[in-house]
Amino acid sequence: MGDVLNLNVNESVDRTIAAEPVIGPCAFGNLEELESVPLDRRVMVIGGGICGITAAIDLGNAGYQVVMVDRLPSIGGRMLQLSETFPTLDCAQCTLTPRTVETGQHPKVTLKMNCEVEKLDGGPGDFKVLIRQKITYVDWNKCTGCGTCIQKCPTKSAAMFERDAGLMTAIYTLSPQAVPNKPVIDADRCRYLTKGKCGVCAKVCPVGAIDYEQKESLFEVNVGAIIVATGFDVYDWKNKMPELGGGKIPDVIDGLTFERYLSASGPSAGAMVRPSDGVEPKEIVFIQCVGSRNPEYHKSYCSRVCCMYTAKHARLYKHKVRDGQVYIFYIDIRSTGKGYEQFIQQSVSEEGIIYIRGRAAKLYEENGKVMVQGADTLTGRKVEIAADLVVLAAALVPNEGALELAEILGLTCNKDGFFVEEDYKLSSIETERQGIYIAGCCQGIKDIADTSAQGSAAASKVQVFLSSIRRQKQNVV
Amino acid sequence: MKKLGVFVCWCGSNIASSVDVDQTVAGALKLDGVVHAENYMYMCSDPGQQKVKDAIQEKNLDGVVVACCSPSMHENTFRKAAGSVGLNPYLLEIANIREHCSWVHANNKPVATAKAISIIEGALDKVKQNLPLETITLDLTKRVCVVGGGIAGIMSALDLADAGYDVAIIEKEPAIGGHVSQISTTFPYFQNVPELLQKKIAEVEAHPRINLYLNAEVDELEGYVGNFKVTIQTKPAFVDTATCTNCGKCLDVCPVLVPDEFNRGLTKRGAIFRYNQSNESQLPVIMQGDCLHFSEEESGTGEKCSLCVDACTENAIDLSVIRFLQEELVGAIVMATGYDLYSPTNLPEYGGGQIPDVIDGLAFERLLDPKGPTAGKIFRPSDGQVPKIIVFIQCAGSRDPERHKAYCSRACCMYTAKQARLYKQQVGDGTAYISYIDIRSDSRDFEEFVQQGMEEENLVYVRGRVAKVFAEGSVLKVYTADTLSGRQLEIEADLVVLAMAMEPKNGVHELAKKMNVTIDGDGFFSEAHIKLYPVESTTKGVYLAGCGQSPKDITDTVSQALATAGKIQTMFSNDTLLADPLVAEVKEDVCSGCGICVDICPYGARVMDDFKRISAVNQAVCQGCGACIAACPNKACELINSTSRQFIRVIDDFAHKTQVI
Repeated sequence: MGDVLNLNVNESVDRTIAAEPVIGPCAFGNLEELESVPLDRRVMVIGGGICGITAAIDLGNAGYQVVMVDRLPSIGGRMLQLSETFPTLDCAQCTLTPRTVETGQHPKVTLKMNCEVEKLDGGPGDFKVLIRQKITYVDWNKCTGCGTCIQKCPTKSAAMFERDAGLMTAIYTLSPQAVPNKPVIDADRCRYLTKGKCGVCAKVCPVGAIDYEQKESLFEVNVGAIIVATGFDVYDWKNKMPELGGGKIPDVIDGLTFERYLSASGPSAGAMVRPSDGVEPKEIVFIQCVGSRNPEYHKSYCSRVCCMYTAKHARLYKHKVRDGQVYIFYIDIRSTGKGYEQFIQQSVSEEGIIYIRGRAAKLYEENGKVMVQGADTLTGRKVEIAADLVVLAAALVPNEGALELAEILGLTCNKDGFFVEEDYKLSSIETERQGIYIAGCCQGIKDIADTSAQGSAAASKVQVFLSSIRRQKQNVV
Repeated sequence: MKKLGVFVCWCGSNIASSVDVDQTVAGALKLDGVVHAENYMYMCSDPGQQKVKDAIQEKNLDGVVVACCSPSMHENTFRKAAGSVGLNPYLLEIANIREHCSWVHANNKPVATAKAISIIEGALDKVKQNLPLETITLDLTKRVCVVGGGIAGIMSALDLADAGYDVAIIEKEPAIGGHVSQISTTFPYFQNVPELLQKKIAEVEAHPRINLYLNAEVDELEGYVGNFKVTIQTKPAFVDTATCTNCGKCLDVCPVLVPDEFNRGLTKRGAIFRYNQSNESQLPVIMQGDCLHFSEEESGTGEKCSLCVDACTENAIDLSVIRFLQEELVGAIVMATGYDLYSPTNLPEYGGGQIPDVIDGLAFERLLDPKGPTAGKIFRPSDGQVPKIIVFIQCAGSRDPERHKAYCSRACCMYTAKQARLYKQQVGDGTAYISYIDIRSDSRDFEEFVQQGMEEENLVYVRGRVAKVFAEGSVLKVYTADTLSGRQLEIEADLVVLAMAMEPKNGVHELAKKMNVTIDGDGFFSEAHIKLYPVESTTKGVYLAGCGQSPKDITDTVSQALATAGKIQTMFSNDTLLADPLVAEVKEDVCSGCGICVDICPYGARVMDDFKRISAVNQAVCQGCGACIAACPNKACELINSTSRQFIRVIDDFAHKTQVI
């Protein structure tokens, strides 16, 4: 069980693929069930967020074998990072986990985590997708999900899931309710893999599942149709918008990071604290449209969900800090969904949230506060607020790798990297490639309700397409 | 029994911070019949469920209580887990110690812990009296009824029909197409969607699997998911579609003149008319309510007008046809009834319904439509002049909780921008003012569309609510404010276009009652869950799509429509349906046959057994709501696994054990 490698501390471990990996059988778990049905009963869903999950469950329940591919170790996507959802303020985990559990246990759904799509061959009804299984350093065939390795890992460093606000161990699962509940090692943060020290996880694993020598592998999946539901990420405001602190002011964070602070399973266990000193903020400024609606320098489009989640953040903050004060800088308030307008009005009338119409131009630190300089266009005056915390509703962009995936699949992206559909009005999920469908935020930023509906819509198109192939085979009209 | 197991979840800190989970386990182990008890951080996770499965197998448990969050979260999860290792799923109960305990007693651990143990004891006592049950199997008719032939109904029907299922579309008007037939072009790409729609309509009409009912409405609905019987009433159009050659002679002779609804009152039509005049292939129909023949018949004045009958050379008109009923047996229903615009007459301060040059957005679309009453040229309705100044008023009737609709109608900001841009493209020296509160252009490419309108067509956006519109001679005076400059404005306009609120179709309340579908306070159909089940209604087997559920644009309407088609295809992929066996049953010895339960049941699940002269339950329809149990004066009715005896036992547990706070 894991000899400690005697590596010179200065030598980095070479983890690149030495030679072209052999295309072999799938590393963890087999595809027997998938391969036991004809092609017209097999679907691949790329992306395991709420959109992919909705489509997968619909298709699984309809009798199709679904293989769900995600680059993360577990499914759930962005919703896993959320605390509560608008407009009902339902707990995000409580609404999501029944679905992730259903997906993970579904007899017709196979999960292929830590995977990326490498190549596509074939055509509609007969796609051959080459998948790259990334190195997890854990043999998931052996791992039982006991969690001992996570408990014993001595390394705790800033992690992507926590938006660098919280610490995660180097061997980790994304959440205690992760589906599948099996860990991976982040090679950049693992002491053994970077410096050759430690190796505790390998020592404590009761089934010997840790494998520091693991290599990447490739395997091929043959399916009849594909749904792309790769989701979104947050705009790189830290580097692109220096006027907002350039990522150097610790008490200026983005909305998704604020979600982690609100969340009971987040870095502060749901306690409302400032990143800089852990003190409860009494005045928070939220700035909407950061990087959005800014055609000259950033993104020309509107990111659609920010007005609603900002109001939600403000309300959740006020529930925790009763005597706190919230200011929201906005240009337009976009609350068009069912019950959304009433949600915003309640924020103003019941929670005492103050909306200031204007853009905030500059942020800087002064005496432990973040100074916000902006304008109030309704009074025509400049506004300066000394805030304890500033939360930016940063633009939402297609998830990293969308352009590369588009090239692999033969799809088009628009100028902002969103996948382009066949017809924006009458078929926002069909693409120019028959048999390949898009859904969710990778097609255009939208909220969970519209994402769910699109996921089901894509599942419908897949069913229509594959059933027509079946009927053709049987010569039935 | 009983070998019972108790599993206490920490739910992270949700439960564990207020309830001492170790003491709870200790307390549970002391209870009668409990042979296993443990706690775990997240019982719903894979390892958590494994603990439940392992204990059931290792200790041969014949009853389980999981003390965790609300059953609406994970009851199914744990029942499936139990079922997978051989324990009947209905011998597992959830003890809600989160919403009912830890979340409301956050500052009193001893009390919360004692209460948690009480709740568990109650659940255990219930489990002890539970019966093992099998899910009920229902037959499934793999046919669909779509109520509403607008874009949502059409797109859903086409996917379902292409997937091989028979579909009946029930459309109230003489033609399908809905409001999309009335619009000129769409945002954000200025697409000729009406042309695309025509193609879809042609597909529907030609499709061998689609049965189209025009001039039709739902008369009655019976049955339940998988087994609905829809009775459809068709109003006669009086024109025989087989013999009519569409020559139009009848249209010329009709003496009646009434406002044309399709053209939003901009034009007049006869009692015999083509519903959508821009569609040349559409045949004439007669609207009985406008027709002189029928009103004369009623008033009994000898002469009954039959000018159209006489004018018709093909004998295609038969005024003796009466309404008739037809039936469709289906397994699923899609409600796609769409919207109406809130009437401008509700806004007298804007001259709505009084000033001819104050029109609503759909009427302006008719002016823009190249196939419309003005061949696409924008003219003032009053005098046919080209308007040089138009004021578009957004949020007319929306976002006004005190007097009109509290909600936002979602599509208006975009269609107003579209209309203003098209106006400016046509009348280059005209000015378009748009009065707004917020500009809601949030989907992909919408923001850019509006910005282009401001930059290229010089649309003037004025932030403020219009106070008043009145006519002064031939000019319209618009009194408003510009909140960004803080000034009052008076605009002299030639035309005012109101972006009226979208409301559910007229008659939706009665329809919702017939279809047993819930509607909300604004009349929109209620979905089962706004995030996770946006296209399913609270009634099994009935799905929702489009503006009948809430206002939205074409893209989101079509997404929802396709989603309903997907959900139904999923349902139809099996040959039978499974229903929950937690339904009502009758104690035959006690039932006196009074029939109160039959009237009370909202689902039509209670019937009288005429032979035995007592009440019976259609267990396939019963939703287990409990109304009949409460109503029965003899206690002859019980819910399976939720009997009165069980609950009295549970109440005893609370009464004797729980501290009064």
